[in-house]
Amino acid sequence: MSSERGFVPLNVDTLSIVPRLDGDTLRVAMSGAVEMRDPGDVLNPYWTLIDEEALRRNLKVVELDVRDLNFMNSSGILTLVRWITRCKSHGNAYRLVLLYDRNVTWQRASVPTLAKLAPNVVVSAGIDG
Amino acid sequence: MITERISSDYVEMRFGPRWTYISCVRRFVASFFMIGLSDKERAEQISMAASELLENAVKYASEEEGYLKISIAKANNEVDVCVKNKAEPHHINTLRRELALIQAGQPEAVYLKKMEEAAMTEGQSRLGLIRILFEAGARLRLEVNDGEVSIHAIFKLEAA
Repeated sequence: MSSERGFVPLNVDTLSIVPRLDGDTLRVAMSGAVEMRDPGDVLNPYWTLIDEEALRRNLKVVELDVRDLNFMNSSGILTLVRWITRCKSHGNAYRLVLLYDRNVTWQRASVPTLAKLAPNVVVSAGIDG
Repeated sequence: MITERISSDYVEMRFGPRWTYISCVRRFVASFFMIGLSDKERAEQISMAASELLENAVKYASEEEGYLKISIAKANNEVDVCVKNKAEPHHINTLRRELALIQAGQPEAVYLKKMEEAAMTEGQSRLGLIRILFEAGARLRLEVNDGEVSIHAIFKLEAA
């Protein structure tokens, strides 16, 4: 796991996020649940940091893996919408891949919809498990 | 005296508007309906709806009111998730407008538009109701009675 500037883990309440640099791909794994009252307080600055570092390092792909996330409330969804909006504004700087588990109801419903916000730069990838 | 028959698929909880209770209720509702319906997807949709409605209720409940109530009933091939709380008139009006707006369009298009709008503004997401409508496929109904708001998320079940 990389602990370099910009790619630090985040642990808050029931949520854990671990970023790992793999060549020119950054893999960000979320686990637990996003069920805080104001997840934007911690997630908005965290996603901004990831976005800025991805640009600075000229990464090609950022993969956000939500398969181990058992729930995300709508305020948490909004933090991803904000990230996608930023990502879209960079043109084709990096591709954001949203990895989800097809067997988890909220993931199967929410993630492909998020990808529709920016089909040129965001891809949803559903897998079993 | 009990005047109406309580079905086996009925649950009601009443508690103070504390955020920390919401995840506990969500997990309970998911487990309860996983057993009651034998349908994991429907149970998770119902629990998501309960969670989103409770989040709204805790955020917008009148401060003087000491509790909110969630009741979930299964009857006539429908599950009705109802969250009830006291609310200030301006919050009730906002809710009426919100509901009218999201019920006026095609759900996915409305959801995407609301996401884009929310990303451009600070503050609350206001995505909870449209999420219930689009992602969980529920019907939404609002009742207001003497400053008390009831929001229903109604799920059609497959006929047995």
